[in-house]
Amino acid sequence: MPLLDDLLGVLLRGLSGVLSPRTIRNLRSELRSSVLAKIGIVLIVVVLLMATFAPLVAPWNPTSQNTSEAREPPLGFSRVENQTTQQTVDGEVQIINEQVQVNATAAHPLGTDGLGRDMLSRVIYGARTSLLVGLLGTMLAMVIGVPVGLVSGYYKGRVDDTLMRIADVSLAFPSLVLAIALVGLFGQASVPVPDPFVTFGVAEVIRGAMSLPGGLTYPTGMPETFTLPGTVIVVVGVVNWVWFARVARGEALGVREEEYVKAAKSIGGSDGFIIRRHVLPNSLTPILVLGTIQVAAIVLLESALSFLGFSGTTLSWGFDIAQGRQYQTTAWWIAAMPGLAIVFTVIGINLVGDWLRDALDPGIEGEGGGV
Amino acid sequence: MASFGRFLAKRVLQGLVVIFGVITVLFLLRYITPGSPVDFIAPLDASQATRERIADSLGLNEPLYVQYADYVVSLLQGDMGYSYRSGTAVRPRVFAKLPATLELAVVATFVAIAISIPLGVVSATRRHTVPDYVATLFSLLGISTPNFWLGVMLVVVLAVQFGFFPTSSRPVGLLDALGNLVVIAGPERGWALPLRVDPFLSDMQNWLLHIVLPAITLGTYFTALITRLTRSGMLDQLGRGYVRAARAKGLPETLVRYRHALRNTLIPVITVVGLQLGTLIGGAVITEAVFDWPGLGSLVIDAINNRDWPLIQGCLVVIGAGFVIVNIVVDALYAKLNPQVMD
Repeated sequence: MPLLDDLLGVLLRGLSGVLSPRTIRNLRSELRSSVLAKIGIVLIVVVLLMATFAPLVAPWNPTSQNTSEAREPPLGFSRVENQTTQQTVDGEVQIINEQVQVNATAAHPLGTDGLGRDMLSRVIYGARTSLLVGLLGTMLAMVIGVPVGLVSGYYKGRVDDTLMRIADVSLAFPSLVLAIALVGLFGQASVPVPDPFVTFGVAEVIRGAMSLPGGLTYPTGMPETFTLPGTVIVVVGVVNWVWFARVARGEALGVREEEYVKAAKSIGGSDGFIIRRHVLPNSLTPILVLGTIQVAAIVLLESALSFLGFSGTTLSWGFDIAQGRQYQTTAWWIAAMPGLAIVFTVIGINLVGDWLRDALDPGIEGEGGGV
Repeated sequence: MASFGRFLAKRVLQGLVVIFGVITVLFLLRYITPGSPVDFIAPLDASQATRERIADSLGLNEPLYVQYADYVVSLLQGDMGYSYRSGTAVRPRVFAKLPATLELAVVATFVAIAISIPLGVVSATRRHTVPDYVATLFSLLGISTPNFWLGVMLVVVLAVQFGFFPTSSRPVGLLDALGNLVVIAGPERGWALPLRVDPFLSDMQNWLLHIVLPAITLGTYFTALITRLTRSGMLDQLGRGYVRAARAKGLPETLVRYRHALRNTLIPVITVVGLQLGTLIGGAVITEAVFDWPGLGSLVIDAINNRDWPLIQGCLVVIGAGFVIVNIVVDALYAKLNPQVMD
């Protein structure tokens, strides 16, 4: 895929302020030899585009219900339903029990849920929730964990002992359990964010110009706001800081012994300056690799929270899987489709994480909890 | 040996500090979360005087440090307080739920280790063959699949469609099932083979049938994770100088692989397994929710939904202490395999 290679080249050159030329060379050569890394990048790009342009690519409004189209199977499948109808024949009421086959329609390629909402549209909008929580949560975890870890590793001694015992306490609570407790106890606050594509009318124009398979027009009227699960983002960040602290500490412990740090100290550089100017930049690679893995872990954590009903939004893959459980005997796809979306997203992130790890060799095998 | 004892003593001491921290965090959490416990106990139309009396009886009007001291002292005496909801003592409730969670976690862990380490070794020693590709694909899928979804799908396919397994619940515990064996083949009947096998078999079968799907659900992530770690660790070790030296002096390949390389591979694997134990417990919580498995996870979710603080604290203290204890065991194992860490 030369195009992908070129695009990435541009992107990586853009990062040259942060990454050294050697790092970029390693990344590129590892990418050239790894098919899996390319698959991972493609998966992530697809999910990112889906999430960003959800109001443009989703065929239907993900929240609009239509009970007459409830539980339609996905393309390639069908479902048998017992139907009872009443008919008046010669003035006599007859009750007819019959089995009706419900077929898939092109309008709902992934089927519909129990309330007749389009699964494909829900999967597309669900990507927004997952990625937003994943990215913002990871950033928050990084902002809390990295300074703690750097200070801990740089000062060593008593500071380090104290901070690392705090980290141990934090590790003693499984992140899912702690997250459930925090969301459950602090409430499930969420923030409605206006959807820019809908607010500025872009969605209306573009959707009006497209058509659906089967001669249907693309319906307009997409959700005007997007629900950002605020508590969940804060909680997943707070719960996962410890992994960043551990990795940053490990790096700082090594960097503090380097000659350039000693030199900076000898010419009177303050500790704060040395940490910012020397320790942080030289610890960045493993932190970035961990950041990638953490996005995957937090996407999984968010879906688990939504599945258990501790979220602030009803447009989430985990939430839909929980809904689908009610229909596990009649409509398996309601639970299956959002789960597949999670699997593809997380595989994509993990493949990219493997690529970064193989190329940069940060030595952080096994850091960062899953679900 | 003396140094191992010292190492262990140090770890136990650190563990105690952590457990103390856990207790403190749980105490503080209760005071920073919105809402007074009185709101959840008092009837909606309770008068101010009644509310005051309830607050008094809970000790809520004491200064914070007195409440903290009371809490710590009663915990040390094994008293976890009484549920706000039902008024029953917390400790017996928590410990009554513990066996179900332990069964699930232990079965999942053993199955995970039994599958993943051989799989990782085969994958590494037969690199770029079909078994290696299968193992790699499986482990990638395993670490990327949310376990609750895997559980739901297993139920849909294996329980609902094919009826191989029950969809949920745990009608009989392992200890009860095993207890029946002792009753049937106990000392009074001699320890010979039981004449009436049925009750034991049906209980054991029942237990086994019910735990298969939850154990797969919980264990898959770990199986996948350990397979990955074993594979990459083994590949790393097999390329080292000492392996070449061992081969060069004519040691059989099996000995080189299993005695030398695998042993060194297991060191980082054990570290990661220890670090990921929290994930295992978290996974157990959600697995219990999927399968109506009556363990600590179901209890803690109920407690949180009811804001039943004594119960929440009781569950989390036990979970935190369990994590710390297992970690000390893991560290001790680690020190046995790699004595360098004891310095």
